[in-house]
Formats: sequence, structure tokens, C-alpha cells
Amino acid sequence: MPDHILTYLIFLPVLAAFLALFIPRDRSAWFRVLNLAVCGVQGILTIIAIVRYGSETGDLRLIERTEWFSLNLGTWGSLRAEYFLGVDGLSLPLIALTVFVMIIAGISSWTITKGVKGYFTLMLILNAAVIGSFAALDLLLFYLFFEFMLLPMFFLIGIWGGKRREYASIKFFLYTLCGSILILVAFIGLYISGSVPGDVATHTFNIMYLRDGSNYVPGSVLDPSGTWLIGGWSARNWAFLLLFVGFAIKLPMVPFHTWLPDAHVEAPTPVSVILAALLLKIGGYGLLRIAYPLFPDAALSLSWMVGLFGVVSIIYGALTAMASKDLKRLIAYSSVSHMGYVLLGMASATQEGVSGAVYQMVSHGVITTMLFLIAGVLYDRTNDRMIENYSGLARIMPVYFVVVLIAFFASLGLPGFSGFIAEIMVFLGAFRSNVIHLSLAIIATLGLALGAAYYLWTIQRMFFGKLHVRGAASTEQLTDLDLREKVMFLPLAAITLILGIFPQLLLNYIDPFALGFVSLLTGGS
Amino acid sequence: MSPDADIAYWIVAASMIVLLAPLASGILSALIPVRYSWLVSLTASFMLLVAVAGAVVLVSNAGLHDTRHFSTAWFTLGGNEIAAGILVDKYAAVMVLVVTIVSFLVHLYSAGYMAGDASIRRYFVMLGFFTFTMLGIVLSDNLLILFMCWELVGFSSYMLIGHWMELPEAAQASRKAYMMNRIGDLGFIAGLMIVYRKAGTFDISILASHSLQGWETTAALCFFLAIAAKSAQFPLLTWLPDAMAGPTPVSALIHAATMVAAGVFLLGRIHFMFPPEALQVVTAAGLLTALTGAAAALGHFDIKKILAYSTVSQLGLMVTALGMGAKDAAMLHLLTHAFFKAGLFLAAGAIIHTLHQVQVSTGKTYDVQDIRNLGGLRKAMPVTFVVFVLCGAALSGIPMFSGFQSKEAILSHMLSGQGEWSLIAAFLFLLTAFLTIVYTFRLIWFVFIANEGRQWGNIPEVPFVMRFPMIVLGLASLWWIVSLNPFSFSGWFMTGRATGSATMISIAVVITALATSFLFVRKKPTPTGAPGILTNTFYLDNVFGALVTRPVGHLSSLCVRIDRRYIDGILHGAAYAQVTLAHIVGWIDKTIVDGIVNFVARLASWLGAFVRTFQSGNIQMYIFWAGMGLLLLTLYIVT
Repeated sequence: MPDHILTYLIFLPVLAAFLALFIPRDRSAWFRVLNLAVCGVQGILTIIAIVRYGSETGDLRLIERTEWFSLNLGTWGSLRAEYFLGVDGLSLPLIALTVFVMIIAGISSWTITKGVKGYFTLMLILNAAVIGSFAALDLLLFYLFFEFMLLPMFFLIGIWGGKRREYASIKFFLYTLCGSILILVAFIGLYISGSVPGDVATHTFNIMYLRDGSNYVPGSVLDPSGTWLIGGWSARNWAFLLLFVGFAIKLPMVPFHTWLPDAHVEAPTPVSVILAALLLKIGGYGLLRIAYPLFPDAALSLSWMVGLFGVVSIIYGALTAMASKDLKRLIAYSSVSHMGYVLLGMASATQEGVSGAVYQMVSHGVITTMLFLIAGVLYDRTNDRMIENYSGLARIMPVYFVVVLIAFFASLGLPGFSGFIAEIMVFLGAFRSNVIHLSLAIIATLGLALGAAYYLWTIQRMFFGKLHVRGAASTEQLTDLDLREKVMFLPLAAITLILGIFPQLLLNYIDPFALGFVSLLTGGS
Repeated sequence: MSPDADIAYWIVAASMIVLLAPLASGILSALIPVRYSWLVSLTASFMLLVAVAGAVVLVSNAGLHDTRHFSTAWFTLGGNEIAAGILVDKYAAVMVLVVTIVSFLVHLYSAGYMAGDASIRRYFVMLGFFTFTMLGIVLSDNLLILFMCWELVGFSSYMLIGHWMELPEAAQASRKAYMMNRIGDLGFIAGLMIVYRKAGTFDISILASHSLQGWETTAALCFFLAIAAKSAQFPLLTWLPDAMAGPTPVSALIHAATMVAAGVFLLGRIHFMFPPEALQVVTAAGLLTALTGAAAALGHFDIKKILAYSTVSQLGLMVTALGMGAKDAAMLHLLTHAFFKAGLFLAAGAIIHTLHQVQVSTGKTYDVQDIRNLGGLRKAMPVTFVVFVLCGAALSGIPMFSGFQSKEAILSHMLSGQGEWSLIAAFLFLLTAFLTIVYTFRLIWFVFIANEGRQWGNIPEVPFVMRFPMIVLGLASLWWIVSLNPFSFSGWFMTGRATGSATMISIAVVITALATSFLFVRKKPTPTGAPGILTNTFYLDNVFGALVTRPVGHLSSLCVRIDRRYIDGILHGAAYAQVTLAHIVGWIDKTIVDGIVNFVARLASWLGAFVRTFQSGNIQMYIFWAGMGLLLLTLYIVT
């Protein structure tokens, strides 16, 4: 049965979404249970996948590959698209993260009461699209899944969001669409230039073929040995730049980040969780899976830029978070800051840095889930997330306070939590790198101090001091966590702690990937 | 088993007990139900006693002459194996003893001091966790794990300073402490990065034989930034006095005896990484700190703050000693200081604790920590008085007390050094020692002796569970802790001979200082105001605010402005431009394109209407038009 385990993982939610159409719209409990059941089965499938992954060998495992369609395009040669799935040390942890976060988001979605049917149908489609993006190894297939995430997200923010939901959803849509177009242009260039081995006339979207410089049509635009110049710059540099900006919007990277705080502030809690924990990772994943391996030459020569933007994101995101008055906006900006480490890590082109970048993606996925749930806890109770309106909450919400402490300190990089391992690896890699300047690593460490500054200041303002609540909220509304909320937070806290103390658990998967990645970069140029 | 393997087994087992007992104490404290909160102080103290026993086993097996190193793989990073292990040498062994013993005594004392506190469980959780991480710093064999524990002690310190969360000053102080330490930690990380790039390992014993290829000074200064923050060295020292907002036992354990000494310990442990130029910086910072601290201690009135500045100053002395290469002497002073300073704090805590209860029963409110409100407590609290005097004498470096011996060790090293630098250092060292005696005398005088006539009524001494640790620490401030000969520092810990001049000069300074204090300090009925520069600690906080806090704040609001005005501005601009364009296109569509179409349509309909008028259905008109047509045709043909 588990021969097509990735297919099952992807299409189970699609099937469930189809099923959901037949459930009467007033049976909200059914939708919740259906969604959770799907995520639960996916969880079991993921465990099977991990076990099977361990029993196979090679870089890519759990491969499913079959011809999808073939088109003869006359003078353009013929197009061959494949249904090509597979996972490696990069995508397996991210798929596991996706399934895990989807379960948590499913539990968190129990508070949604409006339009439950549509909501859960969209969630299921989103679920499939995210896993599909992580598993697809054919550019066309990847692009399909990638675009498929956009629409459910647009509606989830635009319909179930807060006051300025329309503004936020359109902003999100436009930003992401721009990114998609840039990526599409690069993909078309790749399609024109790449071909199936041994057959110049058959063009391909297969990422594995396109990684190999000898599979490019001689003299084509993106031929590694070609001499195409556009505006004095090699075409491959341009293509890398297109992909870089396209994925950096998703990441998001300063200065393409302003969709994120608005989308987060307006989105309902579970949607924020998915957005921050998973969708941002697609940006980092795209860079690591497509932009870097397909253009190692361009990537190495432009790594200084990737690293620079990474550091700018780290510092800028932290500074903006510090000035945020809304707790959720603060958390959103902290994501910008933390995703900067992903850029810095991969720009270093060292094994430590790349491992750190992937580790950071997983770790941030877990920690940011906690953070957004924390903001959600407050918003569920009082409809008010303004930091200045609260003081002394530690006394009346002790369990909540413990959770906040864990999440905040995990996020600011306290040793013992996963974020520390990721960040220290990025720093060590960045400083060891021969590709980017050493000062970048030194400047990036300032992000740690700034991170501590905004989190501790938030704790001091909201949780320390005398208890009082301003604005529309009242202290009676501020009850401590209930059982459902505790159930959500416990596994999250446990995982960030486990990954912080036993990094080898995750590095067993990530490290071989990083090794291959670095040798591809440095050996391929 | 061979004897060596046997010893190795015992060392590893004892280390594990030493490390895990405090951690278990913390976890246990968290698991005990709220109803049985009182149980926490029993279990925690017991677990710490286990740790002390483990420490004794550890030291008796490891001895003070060998260095022992055990490690096991933790994870692999970029092909480099990162190990987790323990490295026990003389300093680590002694430090383990000091930490476990002081921690045990403080746990015991806290059982009385914190009794009835609403958050007593959280208190003991953090106290146990702190002890665990502090021991991690001491025992760790590599810099990465050391750094992790280093950060974690910062966290427990944060939680314990802010234990009484509702007090705004506690909240403020805890954040300040953590932030200043974080800034120092950036230096630590930079140091780690350099070490990793140049040596590819974090293992301290391997690093000792590894060159950093030209990066030695930079790396050393990076590490020193972290050390300076943790050990409250100039200019990152103001967090320590503020940290006194925490419970007093915490001040004794963390902010006097152990955590702040972690910086000094690290400096000793990686002393081999410091080239001479870096050591000069270390010495200068140490001396500056020693003087700043001692001077500031003279200017304050809060009993805990005075002790805190005294700690700053004494840490400065240790750092100075390390900067000058007197590793043994510095560590000896760390050891003696840990006991007498913890004793001073616990005694101060006894006063605060008792007077709080008096306040509650009498209904009077005043600041019990302000020495201007105290006085004449000698008769009322004799045990506390004796302990305070014993420990204060050790702090002052009076002969027959441990502080005298450790200071003598440092001074001897300075005087045996070459060059005028050593002499300047020795002079500043003596100046600090002089000031130390003056402020200690001032403290004892105004708390216990002045205002003899003041009626305290019948104040009870603190309970035995609190008195016992105080008495132990008071006894540990005597000479025998160092050596049986009260005038020699040469004993079980270090060997060497005091230069005769060092002993003579020390004693001379003590006598002068005591005389000065007796003549001048005593005269004033109450302590008078001090110059603002002392009460404000040389305005370090203001400078820090102007140079760091405020610029960061400005930068932060600048970033928000860039976000709102420029990035979103451009975005909105583009959106508006597009919408406007759409409107223009729409207008063109409607007025010009549609206009032409409509015009054509209207023209056609107008023409049609015009032509239609010809077809009126009127026979006469048809005949008329036909006639007209014929006429025109005829005219055309004819002409």
C-alpha cells in the first residue's frame, strides 16, 4: 500500500474536500472532525513515510514518477511534463512540519463559527497544495501546487479575516501574484533551455534534469556554457534574480515584506499559523530546491546579495517588531526577522549554514505556531491585541504566562530550544563562509539582542506589573487556558524543546542534504 | 577495574549527580501540587544536599592536581563532531564545591525567607534550574555547551530578579539584567564564530594547543565582552545593583557568590586564549571596575545596593588579578568572596525579613533597606550582627579573615611583577582595598551601632533554618578556609609565599582605613548625601541610554516609517496609478471609442430619419418629389 505514499498524502485532503461538499452546511462538528481525521491519517502516513525513508537509500527517496502529458509544440520542440514526486532531507522535515502544523491549526479552527463548510474545504485544499509543493520535483507540477495555495489563502483571509481583511487579502494576492509571475518567467526560460538527456528536442520541467548543466540546449538562453547577456549581465544571473525575488516575496524578505504584517493581523488565528509556519517556508524551500541548485554559478556570484538581504531582514524586521503596538503585528515582524536567518544561512554556502537554514525553517514553523496561537488566545477572549492595554497578566493567567515564556524565549534564541541550534549554526556557517563577507555574520548577531529586547519588553508590559486591563476588555474575560488550548500548546513546546536538546534527530535528515547542496554549489561552478 | 578506570567512573557518576540533582530539584518543585507548596522547600533543600555530597565525591576522586576530561558525541555539525563532556581541573573542582555548598545553604535559608510566598514553587524551580546551569558552566568541556549554560543562567537570573513580578522595579531590573547580558553574549557568539572558523572545534582542552592564526586578540576581546557583562565589569555593571530588586537569597547566591563569578571563572578557564594585549584591556577594565564599584558603594544608602557595588568592586579585583596572570590568586579570591559575600547578603536578608515582619505587626511603613532608617540593631539581632561583622571583616581584608589572605595573594603577585604598570595596578588595588574598608565600616556602623538609643522593641532573631546558613558562612569567612596560617595564603588551594612587603602594606592600609573610618564616618549622626556622581554611578545608565537605548528606539520608529510611508507608499502609489490608468482607459473607452461608435450610430439614425421624412405616405408629395427628380434629370441632360 505505501508505494504511493506521497500521492496519498497530497490527495487525501482533496478527496476529503470533495466529500465535504456533500455534508450539510449546518453540521459544523462534522467538518471539524473530518478535517482532523484527515490530518490524523496524514500524520500516520507521515510516520510511515519517515520509516520508509530510513529504509531507502539515495538522495531522493519515496520517488513516484510517471509521465503526465506530452505535447508537440512544433518549432518549440515537444514538452514533457512529469508527475514526479520525491523527498529528501530538505522536504521530508518540511512535510512532517506541514502535517503537524495542520493538526494544530485544525484544533485551533474549532473557534471558527462563520461559514464552516467553506472554511474547512479551503483548509483541506490548502493542505494538499502545501504538501504538493514540498513533494513535487517537476517545475510545472510545483508551479501548479504553488499557485493552488494562493486562492484558498486569499479567500481565507478575505472572508474570515478581521476589519481590514479586504485590503489585506488583496495586498497578499497582488504581492504573491507578482512573485508568481517572476517565477513563471524564469520557469519558461528554463523550459526553453532545458531538455531531456540525450534528446535536445524534448524540453522538460524535471528539476533533477535541469540541475545538470549538460542537459541544456547548447546556445540556449540559460545554457551554463552560453554567453547570453541581457543588459550586460548573464541571462543565468537574471533568471536566478527572478527566482530569488519571486521566492523572497513569499519568504518574505525586506523590502518585499509588507504584505505579511497586514495579512497576519487580519487573518484568523489558524490561518495566520499556516501562513507563517508553512507558506513562508515555501519561499525558503523554493530557493533551496530550485533557485540555488539550478543556478549554482549565478547563486554563488550573487550570494553576497542574498546574505545582505538576509541580514537586512534580520535587523529591520526586529526593529519594526520593537515598535509594533499590536501583539500579532509584533509576531509577524519577528517572522520577517527570523526568516532572514534562512537567507543568511543559505548564502553562506557552507554545510553549517545550509543545515542551519533548514533547521531554522522547521524550528520557526513550530515556534511561530505557538506565537500566533498565543496572540489568538488573547484575541479570542477580548478581541483586543494592543500590548499597551494589558498589564500584570501573569497573575491571573499563570499557565498562559508559562506558555508565553516558553514561546518568547524559544523565539529569541534561548539555548535548549530549537531556535538556538538553528541560529548558532547559521552564525557559524556565515562566519566560516568564503562566499559572503564576515561582517554580515557579526552584524546579524545584533538581531539576537534586538529579539530579546522586543520580547522582554512585551513581557514586562503585558505580564509583569500590577494587573489592569484598559480598553473594551475586562479582567473577567481573561480566563486561563482551557483544555483544548493546553492540548495545542503541549506538543509544540515539547517539540521545540526536543529539537533544542537533541539536534541530531533532525540533522540526521538535514545534514546529508546540506552536504549535497554545498558540493553542488561549490563543485558545480 | 583498574584504579584509574575506577576513579574515572566515580568522577563521571559524581558529576552526573552534581548536575542532575539540582535539575531534579527544579523539576520536582514544578510537579508538586500547589496545595503542598510548603513541601517544595524540603525536597529542594534535600536534593541540593545530595548535590553537595556528589560534589564532595567528585572532588575527592578528581583531586586538585590532575585535569580530567570525559566526553561523548552530542551532534555532528558540518562534519565536525560537537561533543558534550566534562572537564574537571582544580578550579572546576573547587567551583563545584562552592556552588553546591552556597546553593544548598541558600536553599535552606530560602525555606525560611520565602515561606508563605505565593509563588514559592516557581522560586524553587528557578533556583534549582539556576544551580544546574551554573554547574554546567563549571563542568562543561567545550565552549558551545558552556555558552548554552551561560545563556540559561541569564534566563534563571531574569526569572529570579523578576520573581516579585508585580513590582515595577523588579520587572524593569530583570529586563535590564537580561539585556545587558545579551549584549555581552553577542561577544560570546562572535568569539565562538572565530574559534570555529579558525580551529574547527569548541573543545577547551584542544583549543589550548590550537592557534587562532592572528585572531587571538579579537577573539579574546569578544569573549571578554561576555565576561564583562556577566561579571558586571565596567561599563556593563549597572544591571547588578538593580538586580537587588529580587529576593535577597537570590542576590546572595546568584548576584554575589556564583553567577557573577561565572565570568571570572570563564576568564580563568580560557586564560590561555588571551594574548598580552588583551590581558592589558582586561586589567584596565578590572581596575576601573574595582574603583567605580567601591566609590559607588560609598554613595548609596540601600543596604543591598551597597553590597552589590561591593560585589562589582571585588569582581573587578578578581578580573584585575587574572589580567595580570595571577590565576590562582584570582580564583582564591573568588572562593573566599563567595562565602563572605553570601554571608553578608544572608545577614542583610535577615534584617530585611525581620523588619518587614515588624512593619506588618506595627503598621509602620518605611524603607527597611535604607541604612538611614536603621541603626542600633546590634543588641536586637546579635547573631546577625556577629555574622555581618565576621563577613564584613573578611570583605575588608582584615587579618585573621579569609579576605585578607586572598587579597594578599593578589597583591603579592602584583608587587612581584615587572614594570611601572604593576605598581600602578598595585596602588589602585590598595586604594580599592582602602575604600572597601571605609564603606564596610560605614555600613556596619549605621546598621548596627549608630543610633544606639533607637527602640526596636522586642525583635525576634530569624528562625534557625535561616540562622544556620548564616553561621556557616560566617565561620567560612575565617582564615582556616584558606590555610591554617592566618597570614599565609599558601594552603590546600595554592602554594606560594607572600612577599613581606605585601603583608606589611596590607596591614598598614587596614589600620589607616579603620582609623579614617573611625574618625570621620562615625562622627555623622546619619549618613549625609553623597555627590550625585556617586549615587548615579558615574551616570553610566544615562550614557548607555543616550548611546544605545535611544538610538535603537529612533531606528525602530524609522523602520516603521519606511514600512508605512515608502514601501507601502510605493505599493499604494502603484495601485492608485493602476486604478487611475484604468479610469482613464475607461473614460477613453466611454467617451472616445464609444463616442465614435455612438456618433456613427447616431449619424446613421439621423440620416435614416432624414431620409424617412421623404417617405411620408403622402401621394402628392411623392408626385412632387418625382416631378422635382425629373426636372433635375432633364436639367442635367440638357446642360
